[in-house]
Amino acid sequence: MTRYEIRISGYGGQGVITLSKMIVTASSLYEGLAGTQTEAYSAAARGGKCWAEVVIDLDKDIKMIDYPKALEPYDFLIILSQEAAGDIKLNMVKKELNTGFLIWDNSAIQKFRAVKRIDNSLGIPIQKIAVEKFGNIVFGNTILFGVFTVLSGIFSEDSALETIKKFVPSSTLDKNLEAFELGKQQGLSFLKELKEAKA
Amino acid sequence: MSKINSKRFLSPGKHLMMGNVAMSEGALSAGLNYFGGYPITPSTEVIEHLAVRMPQVGGVCMQMEDELASINSVIGASLVGAKSMTATSGPGLSLMVETISMAANLEVPFVFCDVQRNGPGTGFVTEPHHNDIGLVRFSGNGEFQVIALAPMSCQELFDLTITAFNFAELYRCPVFILSDAYLGHLHEVVTIPPKEKILDRVIQRELPPPDEYIKKFTYKDDNTGKYVIPKPPQMGTDYCPGLLLHQPHNYEGLPTPKPMQFMEAIMDKINKNKDKICITESYKLKDADIIIIAYGLPVRASYRAVDIARKEGFKVGIFRLVTVWPFPDEEVMDVVKDAKAIIVPELNYTGYIAEQVERVTKLEIPIIKIPKVCEFHHPDDILKVIKEVAK
Repeated sequence: MTRYEIRISGYGGQGVITLSKMIVTASSLYEGLAGTQTEAYSAAARGGKCWAEVVIDLDKDIKMIDYPKALEPYDFLIILSQEAAGDIKLNMVKKELNTGFLIWDNSAIQKFRAVKRIDNSLGIPIQKIAVEKFGNIVFGNTILFGVFTVLSGIFSEDSALETIKKFVPSSTLDKNLEAFELGKQQGLSFLKELKEAKA
Repeated sequence: MSKINSKRFLSPGKHLMMGNVAMSEGALSAGLNYFGGYPITPSTEVIEHLAVRMPQVGGVCMQMEDELASINSVIGASLVGAKSMTATSGPGLSLMVETISMAANLEVPFVFCDVQRNGPGTGFVTEPHHNDIGLVRFSGNGEFQVIALAPMSCQELFDLTITAFNFAELYRCPVFILSDAYLGHLHEVVTIPPKEKILDRVIQRELPPPDEYIKKFTYKDDNTGKYVIPKPPQMGTDYCPGLLLHQPHNYEGLPTPKPMQFMEAIMDKINKNKDKICITESYKLKDADIIIIAYGLPVRASYRAVDIARKEGFKVGIFRLVTVWPFPDEEVMDVVKDAKAIIVPELNYTGYIAEQVERVTKLEIPIIKIPKVCEFHHPDDILKVIKEVAK
């Protein structure tokens, strides 16, 4: 099994779909892995409950993802709204050593029962940091992209940086790179924590 | 032939794009000159994308006042020599059938992209449902044959759209691309070949040499007994059909006193060329005794199910229909002759293709349908059936 299943849930406007496109761009376009991305359509993508899924095949020889939707249990789950958090069950993420990550926004979600019992779960006040430090909620995307790059390790940092250059307006590039670095640091310290906990 | 605008072609290499966009780019590469359409979910991105791209390549993208005007403009554009297409969804298709049958009668080539959504009527607008398979086959009054291709990935939406345009030029019949709400919105990397490679594949719209002008419609060659399909006539040139376009015609475009001969021509030009039109693919069929027959996206779920089942020792394979219409009777018969069972996962309740398989196999082999509506077959759905059948 070399499929890497990713799901991002939140509400429309948070950048759920943009983040999913960044992930598939970095892995498929720059890293050369087969990948698919699907997203919520219609009104949901513009304010309602919104989701996006990405499937990447880590085997370089595979040319096409066989089944284009993300299959449970996921390798990577990102939850950005209270409503989305309510749907999460414990068996939705993989229970393996280096995968099965759950990232959630603890500035937007107050109650999250499942989170305590999922091993590789990390709460980051993404939206709070984005607004306080960078002045706009959309930077949350780049922070998360940084976290994802480090934790998943499915594409190189170079591919990630290329992707950011492709996606963000050039006037905000510096700020976005800063946000990416911040996310990366969050990810790295979380990995360190996990390592220590297991040692 | 005017010079080909190089902006038609994206830079060769990998591009991440949505299915609807990949289809549009395929059409541009194939030489699309006129797009007439009316937006409808889930096909809207096609007209959105072409509204930007068509002016860049010297073509026309027209949003008409409704579906009827769209398809009529497409036929009109094709009759004056433009490669033309429209894109819509089921409700739009049902409004357009009148003109589709006229185009079939006049042998006007055009490509029709049907991004299928749930029905009947309005249905669920954003859900995939292969429920127009029957409608495209019989899309209009009268008898005629159509060609329908079912891609399963964004890459194929690009490649098969070029094939669809070529089929339209060669066989002069309505050519459908059977996409759906899910495939149309799927994002995948599409590898665009170099311009020269694309041009090698594309059949250009050209006038025949003047000494061939006399024959404007399909006819049977008395010497060889084969059907000859001349290049499409173009209004505004000497090579133009007669005025009485609405009646069965002879090869000069005049009303024919032999309707049977005309009928044979427009039906058999497809039937007798099935070997060139019917594109199929086989996956692990060599020793298979359980055979999955599928088209479109359910094929991808089937790949996964078959890979898992093979590991568990089940002898199962896939026969994929890339061309859904005309149905490849002989090939299916050949593939299933030793099968213990046939599984047909379809994204509809009726099982349009399962019915065809039943017809071909004369019900001698058990056929298990796996109907799904609005959501895709999970590989486990297919795996479960494989295991039940193998018992």
